[in-house]
Amino acid sequence: MILWWLGDAILLLVVLPVVVFLLSGVLRAAKKIPPTVDGISSVAGAGSRDLNAVQLLLTTQDQVIKTVAGVADYGGSLDVILDDA
Amino acid sequence: MALFGFAAAGAVTILAVVLIVLALVVYLVAIIVQLRRITTGLGEVLRSVSEIAEKSAPVNGVVKTINQQLDRGVDLLEGLLVKKAGMEDAVGLVDGLYPGSGSAGFRKFPGSGGTKAPRIGEVYTRGTLTLARLGREAPIAAGSPAGPALRDPAYGSAASAKLYPEPRQQRPSSLPSSPVVGTDSPVQYPPVISWRSGGEPEPEAEAEAPEAAPTPAESTPAPAADPDAPKTISWKRG
Repeated sequence: MILWWLGDAILLLVVLPVVVFLLSGVLRAAKKIPPTVDGISSVAGAGSRDLNAVQLLLTTQDQVIKTVAGVADYGGSLDVILDDA
Repeated sequence: MALFGFAAAGAVTILAVVLIVLALVVYLVAIIVQLRRITTGLGEVLRSVSEIAEKSAPVNGVVKTINQQLDRGVDLLEGLLVKKAGMEDAVGLVDGLYPGSGSAGFRKFPGSGGTKAPRIGEVYTRGTLTLARLGREAPIAAGSPAGPALRDPAYGSAASAKLYPEPRQQRPSSLPSSPVVGTDSPVQYPPVISWRSGGEPEPEAEAEAPEAAPTPAESTPAPAADPDAPKTISWKRG
């Protein structure tokens, strides 16, 4: 009988507070995650929108190729009409 | 009494277990809700990150191609500059235009940064530098390469102009004076009107024609007489 009461006391005074403490800690940690995830999501969305201009790199690539080709043509002409040092 | 004690102890045990289970249920349900929010948020993050990966996939190749093209252009220009001006003058020219950059040298020519460059920027004006690098037509090259270089920064252009030959007589000693025109000029010229190809005078010219002008018989040439005549002719109107 005494041991049973002792067990009840341990359940109520030790096990239950420990369970509540541990679960509350897990819940607090879990509640901190969604705002962080929302922040990451907004940043990732902004990063994705920023990359919309990446397609223009193809135009830049074409322009650079054409420009360098033009420079090469001018350089070739200068190479022909000018004397070497 | 003992039976009541057992019953009371059992009830307390049941109450404790119920409390523990209740605490587990409450906290675990709250944790599940939070985990669902996390899952939803991570789904959005994954979608955005997938877009980023998809959009940035061709960037590497494109930027690599752009850099290769720009490197080719730089190599081409550096090679042309060194070939035409020589290493020393090329480094001096770069250093004259962009002070301090001559020590960096040319990327295509390792060790060119150690070249002792002449202080071109202090000797020549920028325009003279440009001409100097143009080879045969440059004022420096027009003179003897072994002779002294231009050292007059204040009148560099005039000094270089003296080195040019003058194949054409561009400055004759005397030219006839330009005619004086105007209403009070000593020589009055008849007014001139323009004709279209169809033989009709232009309205503006017709309105401005004076009444005392000579007759058409005195005018030469007639518009239809010469098929090769220009479409716009001038004549004195009667």
